Amino acid sequence: MAPRPAATGAAPSEPAAPEPAAPVAGAPVAAPAWPEDPAEFRAAVRDWCGGHVPAEWRRAQTGASEEEFAAFQKDWFQQLRRVGLAVPHWPREWGGGMSVAQQIVLYQELAARDAPRLVLAFVAIHHAASTLLVAGTGEQRRRHLPAILDGEIWVQGFSEPGAGSDLAALRATARREGDGYLVNGQKLWASGAVHADWCLLLARTDPHAPKRRGISYFLLDMRTPGIEVRPIRQATGSSHFCEIFLDDVLIPAANLVGPQDQGWRVAQETLGAERGMTMLELAERLGHVGFRWLAEACARPGPGGRRPIEDALVQDRLASLETEITGLRALCRDLVERHAAGRVGPADASIVKLYYSELLQRTMDFGVEIAGPGGQTVLEKPASSGWESGAWVLDFIGSWEWTIPGGTSEIQRTIIGERGLGLPREPMGD
Amino acid sequence: MNIELSREATEYGRQARRALEAAGGDRLVQLAEEEPERREKVVAPVLAGLGAWELNPCGDAGELEAAAALCRSAGYWALPYPVAERLSRPAGLDADGLLVVAAPAPSAPVADLDLRWVAVTVSGERSRAVTLPQTSPPRHSAFVAELELSPVDGDGAADAALGLVLPCWTLLGMLDRAIDLTRAHVTVRTQFGQPLAAFQGVQFQLTDAEVERSGVEMLARYALWSLLASPADALADALALRLAALEAAQTVFRVAHQLHGATGFCDETFLSWLSRYSQPLRRLPLGLSATREQLGRQLGRRGLTGLFSEAR
Repeated sequence: MAPRPAATGAAPSEPAAPEPAAPVAGAPVAAPAWPEDPAEFRAAVRDWCGGHVPAEWRRAQTGASEEEFAAFQKDWFQQLRRVGLAVPHWPREWGGGMSVAQQIVLYQELAARDAPRLVLAFVAIHHAASTLLVAGTGEQRRRHLPAILDGEIWVQGFSEPGAGSDLAALRATARREGDGYLVNGQKLWASGAVHADWCLLLARTDPHAPKRRGISYFLLDMRTPGIEVRPIRQATGSSHFCEIFLDDVLIPAANLVGPQDQGWRVAQETLGAERGMTMLELAERLGHVGFRWLAEACARPGPGGRRPIEDALVQDRLASLETEITGLRALCRDLVERHAAGRVGPADASIVKLYYSELLQRTMDFGVEIAGPGGQTVLEKPASSGWESGAWVLDFIGSWEWTIPGGTSEIQRTIIGERGLGLPREPMGD
Repeated sequence: MNIELSREATEYGRQARRALEAAGGDRLVQLAEEEPERREKVVAPVLAGLGAWELNPCGDAGELEAAAALCRSAGYWALPYPVAERLSRPAGLDADGLLVVAAPAPSAPVADLDLRWVAVTVSGERSRAVTLPQTSPPRHSAFVAELELSPVDGDGAADAALGLVLPCWTLLGMLDRAIDLTRAHVTVRTQFGQPLAAFQGVQFQLTDAEVERSGVEMLARYALWSLLASPADALADALALRLAALEAAQTVFRVAHQLHGATGFCDETFLSWLSRYSQPLRRLPLGLSATREQLGRQLGRRGLTGLFSEAR
């Protein structure tokens, strides 16, 4: 898409973009000004994307090494950050401050212009930031929020071999020792841990308390002695998931988030705080690039010269998928707006996650079908892309990430049943 | 009609499963991926020891059933060897095995094996097939190789039916295993203080998968019977079996993965291997929609003769 003339309100464009002052650790960062009006803002973002979304990034990121991936991600993050688009959901004093309407437009435009996703910074700008903003101390915020803007990478250390859906059954221990805590245990499914500078860690500080009451929430420096990160090879051939082994790892007491033994409550609050906008972004990606590629694949002549789209069954499937995607986008938008208005229901986020994850799987499954046997040979996908890269087989396998982590579909259904519909709780063993 | 497998065939399948387990079981496919030549050196002799290549599935009902039982056992271990394809070798042509292929890029999971192949299309056109050199490692290819074909004749309709049915028995063995693995996992894996299997939502998913698997097992027996007892219907029955097997595989593997959780996608669990090596069987020679289309062409408006028509 050709760059459009800057709209009123001066769309930031380098080098004339309204540069924030060079961030100083501990100092709040001022966000540059963008037009408040959604239509003007949309035009300005579109214009900026036209000049800044790296051309051919998908090709460059296909087969990229871990180092190339990380370097590319950090560079893209800094480009967005320089013009105040990296963390629009943060408070203004920390470098964000965009209205919900602006954020919706931003994610729609980034998806429509096929901008790379902020894969590497994801946990940092969403989970870590919401943890710090909701429950962190002033010192913790000053230490980490500017550092995240400077490129500090975070990983989530929650799940364990025996604590998946039943996260509160976690066994990693943190024993008070002098002015700190001595941590031992094993964490699992820590996505991207090999790149992480810091870890959001849940560990048990009171082994005798009921399981949800003896957990504490820590910020763990990944350079601390006693930490070993081991990548796990997945069915896709990549090693995105990691195990983290913690062997007498000392965490300063100042890195405790919230009160000791109250980590479960902190985790509930902070996980809840990031819901909504991240789903909206994913829904927009699915609606734009994902569906566009599916439609293009259907319109491409197959090996026999016939285009799949000429088949009435294919037309029917495409139409029903587009209908569902439209529903998803509306649902996400509604969730975000109600979240902002404080009117979010107890099961709303679960409904969106269940809807998205199962729709994503169906869409990718259809992509595999349309790609046919030839599609089975496309076994590399660009790093920095989302769950829709056009490498249908890998996208399909990858789509399974969605019905399992972050609360399986079974857990989401339980939440919808119990908290949304007010049905009786499932009998529990403990 | 009787679509039960004979006692001998069932026992043969059981012995084959044990022999393959003794030869390495789950490790066979893992080692073959590291050293592809192991398939010839380790797997082929076990099969020869079971008398696999003396079976004559084309002419004798008992041996056909034994061949099917052997394929099922091979599938149970995701055996990295074209057992069904070798057992389907056509009578009258000097070849080690038969591959059912489809345009435009005929391929089959037979890379790096020193065997002579005959290929046949669903419409019965037969060719000599030579595997093209591999460009990607088995980790990516699952031993699938493209084939170069030299036409022979158009007499292969019966070959195609057998060549479609036996790999479905291999896939059935994979579904057996996926159910066993998942049943074991949900019984052992504890969350919220109880085994996953104690949750009715989990039970129902696994039972849905088992119902699908059972349906395929019945159709597999029927299509096998049809090969010798009702040759005129055999190809349509084979395609119907393939369609049902592909649909069931989707359900069974979907449930197996969901109930295993993230660990099911990691190579520490055998489900990850089983699921990956089921792919060539599910995609080649015809995927779901192509199988459906072929079946439609075979049937026209006539429909399947089926189990309960007056003719039977």
